[in-house]
Amino acid sequence: MFKNIFTQLLQHLISQNSWAKAILQPFSGKSVQIKSGLMSASVVILENGSLAIAGETNVADAIVTIPPSLLIRLIAKDESAKMQISIDGDTYLASELAKVFANMHWDYEDDLSKIVGDIPANKIGSITREAVYSVKETSINLAEMLSEYWQEENPMIAKKRHVEEFNAQVDTIRADVARFEKKLAQYLNKYAKKHPKNSVLNNSFVDNSH
Amino acid sequence: MSNQHNTHFGFKAVNEADKATKVGEVFHSVASKYDLMNDVMSAGMHRGWKRFAVEISGVSEGDKVLDIAGGSGDLSKLFAKKVGDEGQVTLTDINSSMLGVGRDRMLNAGLNVPALQCDAEKLPFPDNYFDCVIVAFGLRNMTHKDLALAEMQRVLKVGGRLLVLEFSKVWQPLSKLYDVYSFKLLPFMGKILAKDSESYQYLAESIRMHPDQETLKKMMLDAGLSKVDYYNLSAGVVALHKGYKT
Repeated sequence: MFKNIFTQLLQHLISQNSWAKAILQPFSGKSVQIKSGLMSASVVILENGSLAIAGETNVADAIVTIPPSLLIRLIAKDESAKMQISIDGDTYLASELAKVFANMHWDYEDDLSKIVGDIPANKIGSITREAVYSVKETSINLAEMLSEYWQEENPMIAKKRHVEEFNAQVDTIRADVARFEKKLAQYLNKYAKKHPKNSVLNNSFVDNSH
Repeated sequence: MSNQHNTHFGFKAVNEADKATKVGEVFHSVASKYDLMNDVMSAGMHRGWKRFAVEISGVSEGDKVLDIAGGSGDLSKLFAKKVGDEGQVTLTDINSSMLGVGRDRMLNAGLNVPALQCDAEKLPFPDNYFDCVIVAFGLRNMTHKDLALAEMQRVLKVGGRLLVLEFSKVWQPLSKLYDVYSFKLLPFMGKILAKDSESYQYLAESIRMHPDQETLKKMMLDAGLSKVDYYNLSAGVVALHKGYKT
């Protein structure tokens, strides 16, 4: 039942985004497994460029692993989160499929119009869009207000500028320490060459030089 | 040396030469009420299974499709819509009564689908001809399944796919319940609705004698198909196998 419904859903989306067929068709017969935590789903590309759920014994040509912590960032379209997705196998196939999923658009107004008619579907669509926009704006305003309060009025979180300054200072200290270690190792090596009998120190110098 | 080999007809052993005749008798008997019984027996689910098979086939406009043991033609009807005017669907069945029902239905729906009476073990088509071959609820009635699968592979184009939709091995925890349904309720419904409990007893027995999912997958690989995969539908009551000719 689940396979049937999910396959119908995928094929419906592909039929609404017919541009995707031309991208997917060269990969017909190939499949991609998408894993995130305990969840896993395999999608197979059909000969007509459409998509379906893969069968029970399918061996995926590419495996895309998305850490669960990344999901929210991906939904929020955080570009840097994409760098942390790991792909095994046919990376070209996986990246093309990801491109299709990222650009796929569900034309819900078109689907709704078949049930309630064109004008009510358009009205429902515009009301939904306005509601979503309004919720998004309110959420952003609330988040900005809270972050300002916790940074300025009742400091609980660091400002971005301060965090960046702190990170720069840590980087400088790390570089200084590395330089100091190298210098020290050079001096100790020189000392060991001048006093070869002192084997304990000699060994420790060699270790330090690494 | 005798070539009188035995095969199964439900749970009975019969001579290979007699199986086709006996299967023919069953389908002559149930043809007129075949769809009604399918709906009653599967609670309408057979329509969903067939739609799923069409979706998984990857058939597009202009393709050539062969529907083997297509009987009442419901798959041919779905495929005809998919392939459009440029494509071609061919409906075949070994049983003239079942084929007659399918042919009439195609005509009534205004679909140009040729209906051919032929044996799936000796298909009258050239090599490398079809983009997709499908056999739904027909393979288990064939005497030499290996020969039939090899024939289906022969008529497929390279890159073409064979789909086998057939009853299979149900999920173990449901097997007892499924047995009661198959051997008690099914013949009873056959008696009430089609006035023919024996034919429906045969249907239940033939399902049990049919290879399970993995065995059928191996048979398809042996027939020269590749990348064979299957879908369990309704907890394995039915399985859809798909393989490619490469």
